[in-house]
Amino acid sequence: MAKQVLSCTVNGEPVEVLVQPYATLLDALREDLGLTGPKEGCGTGDCGACTVHVDGKVVASCLMLAMQARGRQVRTIEGLGTGDTLHPLQDAFVRHGVPQCGFCIPGVLMAAAALLEENPRPSEEEIRYGIAGNLCRCTGYTRMVTAISEAADTLASQGSAR
Amino acid sequence: MSTMKTTRDIKGVGVAIPRPDGPEKVTGRVQYVGDIKPKGLLHAKLLRSPHAHAKIVSIDTRAARALPGVRAVLTAADIPELKRKAPTRAHAVLAIDRVVFAGQPVAAVAADEPAIAEEALDLIEVEYQVLPAAVDPLESMQPGAPPVADAGTEADTSEALAHSAVAMAKSETPTKAVNVSQTSRVTRGDVAKGFAESDVVLEHTYRVPMVHQGYLEPHAVLAEWDSTGHLTLWASTQGSFNTRSEVADVLGIPENRIRVIPVECGGGFGGKIRALCEPITAVLAKVTGRPVRYVMTRREELEAGMPAPQVIIKLKTGVKRDGTLVAIDAETVIDSGAFSGAVLAVSAVFLGSMYKWPAFDLRGFEVLTHKPSVAAYRAPVAPQTIFAIESQMEQIARDLDLDPVEFRMRHLIQEGDQMVNGQPWQSNGAKQVLARIAEHPHWKSRKQWVAAGGNGKRRGVGLALGGWLGGLQPTGATVRLNPDGSLAVLTGQVDIAGTNIALAQIAASTYGVDTDLVRITTGDTDTAPVTGLSAGSKTIYTVGAAVLQAAEDARRQTFEIAAKELEASVHDLELVDGKVVVRGMPDKGITLAAIGKKGNLYMSKTPPVLGRANPAFSQQAPGFAAQLARLEVDPDTGEVTIHDFVVVQDVGKAINPIGVEGQMQGGAVQSLGMALTEGLQFDDTGRLTNPSLLDYRKLTAADLPSLETIIVEVPSPAGPFGARGVGEPPIVPAPAAIANALQDATGARLTELPLSPERIALAIARGAART
Repeated sequence: MAKQVLSCTVNGEPVEVLVQPYATLLDALREDLGLTGPKEGCGTGDCGACTVHVDGKVVASCLMLAMQARGRQVRTIEGLGTGDTLHPLQDAFVRHGVPQCGFCIPGVLMAAAALLEENPRPSEEEIRYGIAGNLCRCTGYTRMVTAISEAADTLASQGSAR
Repeated sequence: MSTMKTTRDIKGVGVAIPRPDGPEKVTGRVQYVGDIKPKGLLHAKLLRSPHAHAKIVSIDTRAARALPGVRAVLTAADIPELKRKAPTRAHAVLAIDRVVFAGQPVAAVAADEPAIAEEALDLIEVEYQVLPAAVDPLESMQPGAPPVADAGTEADTSEALAHSAVAMAKSETPTKAVNVSQTSRVTRGDVAKGFAESDVVLEHTYRVPMVHQGYLEPHAVLAEWDSTGHLTLWASTQGSFNTRSEVADVLGIPENRIRVIPVECGGGFGGKIRALCEPITAVLAKVTGRPVRYVMTRREELEAGMPAPQVIIKLKTGVKRDGTLVAIDAETVIDSGAFSGAVLAVSAVFLGSMYKWPAFDLRGFEVLTHKPSVAAYRAPVAPQTIFAIESQMEQIARDLDLDPVEFRMRHLIQEGDQMVNGQPWQSNGAKQVLARIAEHPHWKSRKQWVAAGGNGKRRGVGLALGGWLGGLQPTGATVRLNPDGSLAVLTGQVDIAGTNIALAQIAASTYGVDTDLVRITTGDTDTAPVTGLSAGSKTIYTVGAAVLQAAEDARRQTFEIAAKELEASVHDLELVDGKVVVRGMPDKGITLAAIGKKGNLYMSKTPPVLGRANPAFSQQAPGFAAQLARLEVDPDTGEVTIHDFVVVQDVGKAINPIGVEGQMQGGAVQSLGMALTEGLQFDDTGRLTNPSLLDYRKLTAADLPSLETIIVEVPSPAGPFGARGVGEPPIVPAPAAIANALQDATGARLTELPLSPERIALAIARGAART
């Protein structure tokens, strides 16, 4: 099969890359664009480790064909912070010691970021539902919920300071 | 163990310090095996048997070999090193003549792209002659069951030795049953007489299915050979030295020709100790002369990983009306899957010696079946065993109208009491954690909380106690003084949970500098001192001890150099703010940086400071945890809502409270998953019927409340700063705690995991039908 040209925006940068027509968005990001932050934990959309944003919405990138992202805005964990500055979510995850093995973390953070963009002050229950598509085997989720809640406070105070 | 005093508070042991590699993990920059992409990389795939038991009549690989982009297609015939009687799963690289579980690899492909390798698998033609399969372990024990192992294959007891470190005499009477691969039996007193004299004899059979460890990163390895015949493996492993030994043994390669680089491990929980896909990937790399990467799919993990065994415990207890324990009799059947390697001793120890039974007869059987072979999963066989004994203890208390905590406390072991294998219990905090949870408001107010329920739901509160004996393994560490006065610590310890920061804290407090000045590195098998597994709750207990001793050694060397420079006795020196000074004379001193520089200067006569330690261990440090659940059940659907969950654990000393609490919370949720939702389900032909994470249900954030953790510190006599192992105990009690809470809520005693809505609703309905 002939490769096709995928042109889209990834983490704010326009990209053009040749991908197999059967390649998933996850494959294209990891293998063709060198963005290995999103992980493949299952390949069937059940674990959430491959979570990215497409046009601001949470997507399991292992379930989406790369060519379906043509002309769209893709954001991965590599685009969550800015330069050397961690996003408040990332900062809270570090300070609370959330990551253990770390494999689920990029997906959890992208799910949490989408949640906070849609609902800046979520309740504990809303946070738990917001990351319910992301399996974590190390942490038991307790610290994740605390860190997300704290990051929401930080983002809110940053917003009101502006 | 002595710990040196420092003159001011060091930012070290006991401080909650976030792990320094956190930013790497939250930005996605940290690299796992699947993220490493060397030039010329090939991708491996394995063709796996669809049958649980079959003879391989023929394999035709011609079409697959002819596919463009395919670089190698291998069957067992292409690998002369393979042994027909594979003693371990790792040795069964590719099936020879016969497959013994569905998912067993029969052929391997390396190709330019994963999709090409997959296409090649479709082109391999295998003719099977399907044979009857032994799926149920109890049937597999019977004479005439289809044999699993080739005749003459020896049992593999290395897992038991490596992981649980419980000495246990082997049974003197070997069984003749074809699929029983190991047996054990421990007895004391007259059990039959005991039951005859008991007022209440209770008999239950407890069943726990195979469960998968569930690490998010599937097994992965990258192999490459250089032109001098040396193999490098980038592995997702819990122990690089163990991986090296197993690969060397399976493929007949000297260990000094193999370098295992432990890449960031995306979770293991016992499932990434034993070699699995490393040998075949190494062979593919050798044959193709290219780097080859193999990453298992999730389906392969579930169908053909190395899960925890199915465990069936037939338990009979006899007690007097006043609660006096009289006799216990148990038969533990552990379904080890297609290869031997399960742990038998843990079941007997916790069934017979967590509480003081005067008479016991405890028999254990490891049974082979035509299913994937098993491996360790966080406290192997302890949650299953505790589910049985803690359910039984609870019911005895209820039947006799005794307070369940007082009843347990009365019979609970303490230091010096004998275990069933005759060894004494080491110092432990079993009583302290049980006492602590009994003081919890959720326990004290349980009757009011249950009574306050409504909406047609039923409320229950339950608790359970469980533990782990603590693993041991020889290990090594070095501590160097850098020319700027900072420290470099080197071990081969694979850091999954955040153990490296705790080891750095131990080095800091011992040497006498702040943790910020300690850089700790995980070396590979060529560079690091021999280091044990990240398993068995022994990283801090053993590697921490090695780091402590190496830091003491480095401090002693530092002081000797300072003594010479200052013309003072080492006994008069102290380390204050990065400077070794003569006590009482703060101006007479030499900085650590100056000492470090002297050891690194051209023509210098001062030796560089290189602290080292390589201890072996004999004294275990058992760790106990108690857990409490408050839950609500919908009697119509059987749906359970956990309102509160409390974890109390004796950790000896919390070296880094962040890491300790992370272990307590994560372990508890794995325990709750085993209790409520998880189980590999096989059909009558031995095929897995739930091979996806949709059907193999793990708990999500939405299924759970925030967990409350309470740290208890009963110092261990030999651990660094009194620390005990932390990882294992929290996975042990929840199945029993939940079952006990469910009995409180519904009156039904459930004895089979998982405690699914279906089982709960049926049990409630049966109870209603009886009344």
